[in-house]
Amino acid sequence: METTQMLESIEKVLKPFAQSFNRPSAERLDAVVKAEDLKAAVKAMVDAKWLYLSTITGLDIPAPADQPDAEGHIEALYHFCEGEAIATLRVSVPYSHPVFPSVCEFMPSATLGERELMEMFGVVVENTPSNERLVLPEDWPQGVYPLRKSFTGLNKG
Amino acid sequence: MEKTSDGKFIVPIGAQHPALKEPGHFEFAVEGEIVVGASVRLGYVHRGIEKGCENRNWIQAMYLTERVCGICSHIHATAFALATEKLAGVEVPARAQAIRVLISELERIHSHMLWLGVAAHEGGFDTLFMYSWRDRETVMDLLEAVTGNRVNYSANVIGGVKFDISPEQKETILKGIEFLEERSQHYMEVVTTDETFTGRTRGIGTMPYDDAIRLGAAGPTLRASGVARDVRTDSPYAGYKLFPVNIITDTAGDLDARFIVRIKELFESYRLVREILDNLPEGELSIRVPRRIPAGEAIQRVEAPRGELFYFVQSEGGENPSRVKIRTPSLLNWASITNFAPGHKLADMPMILAGIDPCFSCNDRMITVRDVRTGQVSNLEDLKIR
Repeated sequence: METTQMLESIEKVLKPFAQSFNRPSAERLDAVVKAEDLKAAVKAMVDAKWLYLSTITGLDIPAPADQPDAEGHIEALYHFCEGEAIATLRVSVPYSHPVFPSVCEFMPSATLGERELMEMFGVVVENTPSNERLVLPEDWPQGVYPLRKSFTGLNKG
Repeated sequence: MEKTSDGKFIVPIGAQHPALKEPGHFEFAVEGEIVVGASVRLGYVHRGIEKGCENRNWIQAMYLTERVCGICSHIHATAFALATEKLAGVEVPARAQAIRVLISELERIHSHMLWLGVAAHEGGFDTLFMYSWRDRETVMDLLEAVTGNRVNYSANVIGGVKFDISPEQKETILKGIEFLEERSQHYMEVVTTDETFTGRTRGIGTMPYDDAIRLGAAGPTLRASGVARDVRTDSPYAGYKLFPVNIITDTAGDLDARFIVRIKELFESYRLVREILDNLPEGELSIRVPRRIPAGEAIQRVEAPRGELFYFVQSEGGENPSRVKIRTPSLLNWASITNFAPGHKLADMPMILAGIDPCFSCNDRMITVRDVRTGQVSNLEDLKIR
């Protein structure tokens, strides 16, 4: 099947950068990538002619309730689509150092996704071409990130 | 209008009513009549729907996603329902999947005709605007006949659909489609032969193939630049496996091509509606899905009228989704404006804006209510208390 072959070949391409792989379903491949390897992995995807970054999904993963001392993470999922196949680069960073590199150098259309990620999750995207607000109002308070799980409404803080 | 240090003027357009009746703010830098730079500011109708889904159960969240967009509401609920069904591991009856596609295509017809009117209006061609909106009422009536509503049809349930198609409804739809097909032939003739019209569309806002790929454009805007990408054929969902779609492309990449692609897509939708009505699979309309959805992540891509719509849905095994990410097609097409507006006359801007068929409600999904007397900003919880 074509989709399976495409995912197998992109898995080989991503091998040097990925810590692990997972196949959640027949048309999907997830590759866990460290933040410092993200740019190289995106470049490899683009060189392999995966030219369509569908979107970037942000996930807030707070420390589990029974382990209050553990550290929460922000995960970003870079979904590349080609035909039926979806290859996702999963990058996780801790709350204490929430920094992603910008991938716009190789994938210029990522700029809106990166702006959304910064606004909604309070992460830093280094060297991103624009960090102006995209969707939140001008008078939205600094340091309040609505898609963090800890955000329950403005007035309650 | 303000003057920048290098002698250019900045013309703000919007935030109210920039080209169509939705808010968005654009700044065009001009030298004389010619636009030399463009930027966009969105978010005026951002309503926090992704966050809102996390506090609602699966069924409520589906209704909420249907309200992301007032034009293509059905496709949002369909994408969410399909993703949820993937997580639940249920097989939805073929009849339900075919009816989902039938309503999706009727919705595409209404959306493309709405766009045709808006785009014609921006081109100063209000006769075409009036005609296409008059004719669009036909498909609105069909949608109402099937679902009871002109917009927000609520046709989906998690596990299938609510509405069946009776033999009488089938006849009504076929009659309506016949009228619309005849009218669409007329529109095709107008947009390709009327000189006053083509003067405003040929060679305007041209986006070449390579740029369409590089900028990550979507939908008819992308296909008008020659890129054959359509989720309905690339990754068929719901009933599209049973009822395949012929992909429509054009190579010119200009505004004219975007008109031609969308009108050709109308004809393809008419064909598909007829085929589904003639070959509707027998069977149930829905299957029972438990209230709690097993833990996992699902991705569902669907082809909305404006292009690929992307849903990422995560469950932790509870009664609520733990994360819903929605990426709407309009968001992908802004880059085609900011990159291809420069070099054109300022007077072409409304039409270039309308040419991508932007939907601001889709981009922006949050609302804050401001009290004009106190300046206090309220959110949903406060409004509930009031």
